[in-house]
Amino acid sequence: MKRFELPCIGDAMATLETRDLYLGYGRRMVVNGLNLHIPQGQVTVIVGPNGCGKSTLLAGLARLNKPRSGAVLLNGLPIGSLPTRDVARLLALLPQDASAPEGITVNELIRFGRQPHQGLMRQWSSKDQLIVENALHAADLVELADCALESMSGGQRQRAWIAMAIAQDTPLLLLDEPTSALDLGHQIEVFELVRQLTNAGKTVVMVLHDLSSACRYADHLVAMKAGRIVIEGAPDTVVTSALIEELYGVSCVLLKCPQTGTPVITAIQPLPHKQQKQQGQTEFLAEEFQS
Amino acid sequence: MPERSRHLAPMLSVAGVGLVLLCLISLLIGAGDVGAWRSLETLFGQGDEQSRFVIYGLRWPRTELAVVVGIALGAAGVLLQSVTRNTLAEPGLLGVSAGSSFAVVMAISLGASASSLAFSVAVVGALIGCLLVMAVCRLRGVGSDPVRLILAGAAFSGFLSALSGLLLLRDQRTADEMRFWVIGSLAGRPVETLYAALPGLTCGLILMLPLVRPLAALALGEALASSLGHHPQRVRLGVLIVVAMLVGTANAAAGPIGFLGLIVPFMARRMVGSDIRQTLWLSLLLGPSVLLGADIVSRLLVSPYELPIGVVTAFIGAPVLIATVRAQRLPIL
Amino acid sequence: MKSMVVRRPSHRAPAGFWLLRLGPWTQLVSRRSFVAGALLLLLLACACLVSLTFGGSRPIPVKDALLVLAGQGDAVSRLLINTLRMPRILAAVLTGAALGAAGCLMQTLARNRLATPGIVGLDNGATAFAVASIVATSTSLLPSILALSGAATAAVLTFALASGSGSRGYRFIVTGIGVGAMFSALTNLMLSQAPIDAANRAYPWTVGSLNGTSAVAIRALAAGLFFGLPWACLLGRQLAAMGFSERVSISLGVRLGALRMTTLAATVWLTALGVAVAGPVGLVALIAPEIARYLARQRGVPVLNSAWSGALLMVVADCAGRNILSPIEVPVGIVMAIIGGPYLIWIVLRQPDRRVQ
Repeated sequence: MKRFELPCIGDAMATLETRDLYLGYGRRMVVNGLNLHIPQGQVTVIVGPNGCGKSTLLAGLARLNKPRSGAVLLNGLPIGSLPTRDVARLLALLPQDASAPEGITVNELIRFGRQPHQGLMRQWSSKDQLIVENALHAADLVELADCALESMSGGQRQRAWIAMAIAQDTPLLLLDEPTSALDLGHQIEVFELVRQLTNAGKTVVMVLHDLSSACRYADHLVAMKAGRIVIEGAPDTVVTSALIEELYGVSCVLLKCPQTGTPVITAIQPLPHKQQKQQGQTEFLAEEFQS
Repeated sequence: MPERSRHLAPMLSVAGVGLVLLCLISLLIGAGDVGAWRSLETLFGQGDEQSRFVIYGLRWPRTELAVVVGIALGAAGVLLQSVTRNTLAEPGLLGVSAGSSFAVVMAISLGASASSLAFSVAVVGALIGCLLVMAVCRLRGVGSDPVRLILAGAAFSGFLSALSGLLLLRDQRTADEMRFWVIGSLAGRPVETLYAALPGLTCGLILMLPLVRPLAALALGEALASSLGHHPQRVRLGVLIVVAMLVGTANAAAGPIGFLGLIVPFMARRMVGSDIRQTLWLSLLLGPSVLLGADIVSRLLVSPYELPIGVVTAFIGAPVLIATVRAQRLPIL
Repeated sequence: MKSMVVRRPSHRAPAGFWLLRLGPWTQLVSRRSFVAGALLLLLLACACLVSLTFGGSRPIPVKDALLVLAGQGDAVSRLLINTLRMPRILAAVLTGAALGAAGCLMQTLARNRLATPGIVGLDNGATAFAVASIVATSTSLLPSILALSGAATAAVLTFALASGSGSRGYRFIVTGIGVGAMFSALTNLMLSQAPIDAANRAYPWTVGSLNGTSAVAIRALAAGLFFGLPWACLLGRQLAAMGFSERVSISLGVRLGALRMTTLAATVWLTALGVAVAGPVGLVALIAPEIARYLARQRGVPVLNSAWSGALLMVVADCAGRNILSPIEVPVGIVMAIIGGPYLIWIVLRQPDRRVQ
């Protein structure tokens, strides 16, 4: 495995935390009174069942949603009160549905990452050039620099998006399910890159679907349910079969990974009362629309 | 499921009663110096020559025409929205009406003037508009941009009306004939128009019947509908032919009347939900009701003059369009 | 400072760009865009010359035309060119530039290649107000002013009705279509009630025509463009980051709300000016940006090139309109729609816009 030294040129530091955060849509509260402190220089992974509010929380941390009550604090200040440009120099988000203009190449994509540091009168500098080239090296995309994004594989594409976030040169990086659409091999690519980033000093917050990957790559795991934190801490202390039963309603057996010592989830079975409900629903659908 | 049919029946009766009432009002009021009271007397058999002419010679054919055109446009609206799975779809907005108008202009400028020829020409023109819709639908993936269709239709309409404009520039005779036809109106149409419109309407409605069930399945998405044994492309083609028939007939009979195909499905959905198996039957009653209502308004508002009915429907329909899109999510069809 | 893999950048500027530097100020200029712009301007000059000389009833030899432009030449040619053709060509250039730039901004704002300022109701609003002025009065300046206010009214109405939508593109567009439909109905109403001669006078305003444009209106347009075009170019730079999905743009520090409002204002400004002079020639705003994008093949927002191609299109369309069905003059709006229509259908029938995930 290669080791990269990354261009953390800005020695800007950033702390991110929430205080009594309430986020919601309309009448519905999705995040309820959350207090979270993101540890610096580590990979924090947020997990939980569908609808627990983890994506909403990430969006709130990235100032995409306004809090109903409470605050998200970046370096101690409410994130909504800071100019969005300044926030963009401290925090980069890679959302789940990221899309780019048609036909864009990797180089062009990465260049966009420099935007928060540029201005109308100061459109390019050698520093920008330097950072873009380093980002390309860090994401191992030098040979693909002029390829169109759409012609690349899923894993390469995700690496390109992360390269753009690297070029944005922020101490904080937020990723929303970066690996959900990727196969195993590509998933590992992305996770390894994320690991390099934290080794170089960045703070990464990820929302992950897959609990096993979360256990493997997280330094700090945050388990959510119904908008609240159920428990947080290092995966091997926090993840128990009781927790999994509470979050997902399935029973399982936990083993210890021989290589890393993190929990591995096996022998998953739905809990008894759920099985009956599912069968009934399938029968109804089949009846309705037969031609 | 039994609950849904129970919902439909009361709504149908409400709509039916509404329609009858509106027909009555349409007969009672209007230009021609025959007031409401006298009209009522005439309907019961006690009127003089003039009143009887106004009621039976003018208002009755007009009301009938409104009903025929209303049924055609209302049903076409529901069908079009269902086949494009787009609650913003409307024959006028998508260029179907523009297609039939252009075909009529071209036919008249090429020398045709028999009214029955205008009908078949209008249907063919509407069909071309529908084919464009089909082409765009086929290219769209599931759940992609609903506005793309509307924009394509707007562009297509613009193109066709420019072509019509070009034809009219060259040919003064056609221009004079078209000047009044081009604005949709129920007034001053010869009685033959009604009879000429009936074949197109009945044909369209009959062809529509076997397509309803497949169309409901299509609402689940193409892949799912195929797996249930339907043929999505054939169903779409069939429905679009029906829409072309209905819209072409309505256009040839009364000129292009826009927005009805938007208002009627909107109301029907409000009343019985999104299932086409219910909204379609309701639209057959709501269509004529809305059109008659608009016609009555157009007669009353600036009495003794008349507003073109296209203006009234646009002023009802545009807010409906805006309201539809203001809702948090576009209702999924 | 942590160590880096690459110590010295391999190039001064990104590939395909020229870096202009003046002290601390730096500007990036796309090489290809620049060449495309130069080409367009050259074509524009040729088209203007052709339009000047190739004139339906009185063609003027090229030599004489050039003489007139240089300030000499015989009286007849001078009269023809200076009082009749030159103002008209100037109007075509200015209108085309305004509408081309506005179209580029609008397409970027709506993130849809089929969007024109017209579908947001601007064209229909302008037409309705202009027709109203003609049907009611008969002075020649008033229609232009009313067209301007009509476009502005339609824009305000659309914006007010669509607001609170979180600036969602489709809601704005559809509301614009609704507002446009209402104004269009109003226009139909007025035309149907008006006496035949007023209706005929109002006709050019319903299709878009460069016939009989007033000199004052042209001057106003020129002044408006003088401010509007640079403003649009500046916006174009910032708009490049809007090609991404919303969340990515926000993450990059783009102030979406403010940018959208400003872009909309610029679009309305330019469109209203263009429509006030020429009427609803909507399709220029659609085709011009396409030409610009095709030539420059850049992922940016080619405002300036759209302006030049818009001007080129208008001059060509106007020339064609005057000469094709001579002696009948086909309004430029109709020529545009006829060229633009098949092109439009072609865009629609191509592979749909794919966004890269």
